[in-house]
Amino acid sequence: MRRQDMRALVLLIAGFTIWSLAFVLLYALQALGCAYEWGTFHRPVLIIAYLISLTPLVWLAFRRPYDSGEPQTSLSIAALWANRAALVAGVLVYLPVTFATACI
Amino acid sequence: MNNPSPIRLHKQLERIWMTPPGIGRLSSVNHTVLGKRFMVVALSFFAIGGFLSMLIRAQLATPHSAFIGPEIYNQIFTMHGTVMMFLFAIPMFEGFVIYMLPKMVGARDMAFPRLTAYGFWCYLFGGMILIGAMLAGVAPDGGWFMYTPLSSKPYTPGINADVWLLGITFVEISAVTAAVEIFVSILKMRAPGMSLTRMPLMAWYMLVTSGMMIVGFPPLILGSILLELERAFDLPFFDPTRGGDPLLWQHLFWLFGHPEVYIIFLPAAGALSTIIPVFAQRQILGYRAIIAAIVAMGFLSFGLWVHHMFTVGIPHLALAFFSAASALVAIPTAVQIFAWLGTLASGRPRWDIPMLYVFGFFFVFVIGGLTGVMLAMVPFNSQAHDSYFVVAHLHYVLVGGFVFPMLAGIYHWMPHISGKQSLYRLSIPAFWLIFIGFNLTFFLMHLTGLIGMPRRISTYPSNWGWDWLNLLSSVGGFILTMGFCLVLADIVLQFRFGRYFRRDPWKAQTLEWATATPPPSYNFAAIPRIDERADGLEPTKIGPVSAGGFGYLGFARNDDQETMGVDILTGAPEHVIILPRRTFLPLWTAIATASFFLAMLFGQYWLAPFGALATLILFLFWPVTLGQKQDFGPVDIGMGEEAVLDVECTSNVSILANRAALVMNATLFSSLLFGGLFLLVVAPNWDSITPLDWPLWPAGLALLAAGLAAGTSWVARRVNQGGGAAGTLLAITALLQAVATATLIAMAFVLPEPTAHARQAVIFALLSFAAIHCGLGALMAGHGLWRLKQGYVSAKRQTEMVLAWLWNGYAAATLVTALGLVMLLALAGGGQ
Repeated sequence: MRRQDMRALVLLIAGFTIWSLAFVLLYALQALGCAYEWGTFHRPVLIIAYLISLTPLVWLAFRRPYDSGEPQTSLSIAALWANRAALVAGVLVYLPVTFATACI
Repeated sequence: MNNPSPIRLHKQLERIWMTPPGIGRLSSVNHTVLGKRFMVVALSFFAIGGFLSMLIRAQLATPHSAFIGPEIYNQIFTMHGTVMMFLFAIPMFEGFVIYMLPKMVGARDMAFPRLTAYGFWCYLFGGMILIGAMLAGVAPDGGWFMYTPLSSKPYTPGINADVWLLGITFVEISAVTAAVEIFVSILKMRAPGMSLTRMPLMAWYMLVTSGMMIVGFPPLILGSILLELERAFDLPFFDPTRGGDPLLWQHLFWLFGHPEVYIIFLPAAGALSTIIPVFAQRQILGYRAIIAAIVAMGFLSFGLWVHHMFTVGIPHLALAFFSAASALVAIPTAVQIFAWLGTLASGRPRWDIPMLYVFGFFFVFVIGGLTGVMLAMVPFNSQAHDSYFVVAHLHYVLVGGFVFPMLAGIYHWMPHISGKQSLYRLSIPAFWLIFIGFNLTFFLMHLTGLIGMPRRISTYPSNWGWDWLNLLSSVGGFILTMGFCLVLADIVLQFRFGRYFRRDPWKAQTLEWATATPPPSYNFAAIPRIDERADGLEPTKIGPVSAGGFGYLGFARNDDQETMGVDILTGAPEHVIILPRRTFLPLWTAIATASFFLAMLFGQYWLAPFGALATLILFLFWPVTLGQKQDFGPVDIGMGEEAVLDVECTSNVSILANRAALVMNATLFSSLLFGGLFLLVVAPNWDSITPLDWPLWPAGLALLAAGLAAGTSWVARRVNQGGGAAGTLLAITALLQAVATATLIAMAFVLPEPTAHARQAVIFALLSFAAIHCGLGALMAGHGLWRLKQGYVSAKRQTEMVLAWLWNGYAAATLVTALGLVMLLALAGGGQ
């Protein structure tokens, strides 16, 4: 399989894979911060992790699809929509790190 | 090769692929036969589950009912949920996919026919254990999700919970084997030319579903193993008085349990995406948007599990995460619903029986989805938790999302299986009985729940306003049952008296209708080339051409069961897959596996290792007759093209399947790591422990041995690729892994008091996991060496070398990680 072929396939799940990793990271940071009493550092750490997680999602959401012919083009268009959905899911699902009480 | 006459070709292929009559039926590995067996057994369990639901509704029809006592009632509602989820829904779609998928994508069978057969026997035997226990009056009685501490030994001292844990784990072998098979078959066994974006949507749905199963089932399997270890050997993973935590079970269960809902729904949605365009008489709208929506659903469904645990007391931030994700998953679902509606609206819909059930699906599932969004909201969830509102919601989602599409699918594809069309119209009154009965039963449960009736109570007082709602629900339940009985009668009549038809009676545009009906054992006499999207084909034209032997592999060669292997993305022909033929080995192996589970169930722990060993030895017999002892190079595949045999291709199905199995294994390992860290960080009674007085230096020895083994297996592969002799290196690999295994077993053996605290119990589990995988590394290296000596391995035929490297590399990687957590746990605690 050509290298670009693999990229088209990987792109399809890239956004939501990053979304999943961010989920694990933020949920773990929330639990660790409460268990080990990070206090005032807890929320900044969460917010920084949130913003870092969103960065690759933003990049994926605005990447141009391949125009090198089928099936890469169709697959990368589907991937673009999936990655935009992952960005929206990332912004909305993790937004509570900015305001919700972390340990109560 | 010259094409023989179609009749002669059919006879030649049938002789190779057929299942013999009589006792020989038990040796079948054919996907058509096994798919039908899966579905028949699943529908039998559906009938049992339905009968149990009738008992539940009879009990709840009136207040103060003395029909069945609370102890039997507990077993009945537990078994109803367990049977419907694990013995009906999952195996039913597995059976459907095993039967249908190869025909839809243009293959002659699934990737691993013997694994299909082994999975079927495990399913049948595991299900029999559960039903047998119910008949003996010792069925599970702690609810279908087996919450601890209720299911722990002090509160369920009998074997009831063991029946669930061991029976379900046994049954789930069929799910995990099916997951790997489906994943590999879709990616590698399509008809030449069928690129990923030409696949029918059903294949996309199943690709995502199989990926979800690969990641979704391991947490449940791990949870079941840990709880059984606690019950059998007193290792306190879930006992809060010894550093365990009952919430760990809930996390592990729902990490599986919520994606499970989507694992059940997605194949049904795939069936809808196939059926609706047929009756709308146009291609599906939004093919690419649906692919994106399926991927989104697949991932989002793993981010919602805690909405089953909203009331256990978790911080607002975590609640907000899971609440938002639970609401958000409705969006990709809605994308599909609107695509289906749009397809109907822009097509020329014609009403026929399957469309009645599609209508039922829309009505019921949308209501279930809306109450799902209600339950995703934490304040409402807190009020409705464990009430009949939840019972109503889950039945609307599962019956709407699976049973109605299944019935649509039965009516759509039954002619394919039976070769006949129904002459009678029993299906119409059957539909209305099911539709009215279902809504009468379950819509009212929303109301009983909202006025406070909790689930799982065996009786209730008469003055709380629940009486008439329950009575009507029970009446509805019996109407629903009458509907299902009519469906059964309709199916029997169709098989017995149905009308024969020419190919493709619905004018569908997918490849399965290009086979003869009922299909021959080999599906396609020649595999067609697909140059357009595979949901816009003309089966009536493809079928006769294929039957005439025009296409790929349109001949019988060497009595081999041949099918095509293709490039994952483009579908370009890549290699010829030679599938194993019928054998009793899967049956014997499943019987040996059953002996392990039964020994565990009856507390004969000394016997269990013999069962495991027998299973392992029988598995080692599986590859004996497979492979080639010489390099053939490219061979004729028809259509003027050539391709190599699978053993000479490094992207063959065996290697891909092992990679998928390792991902599944890694998910189980990650769940174990999560469990250990969860207990370390969250569980009570960890403050008073002190660092373990236990020698850690052997860990270094084990690590060194396993690391070197990984290195030597990699070098062995490289040497073999270059044409050198790799036997010695494989022997060294096996020896090093044996040293690592022995060291880890010794460490576990001298671990102080594994039953005293969850910390030691987790260390014991981690060491056991690592020891097993180092042992597997040794086994794979030994297997490679044996195949090398037999002449099955060469510089071109390197599958065994790749597998030895994969498993040894994985063993070393897991050992590093496991020992890291072992260190952390061993040094935990500074108090006292």
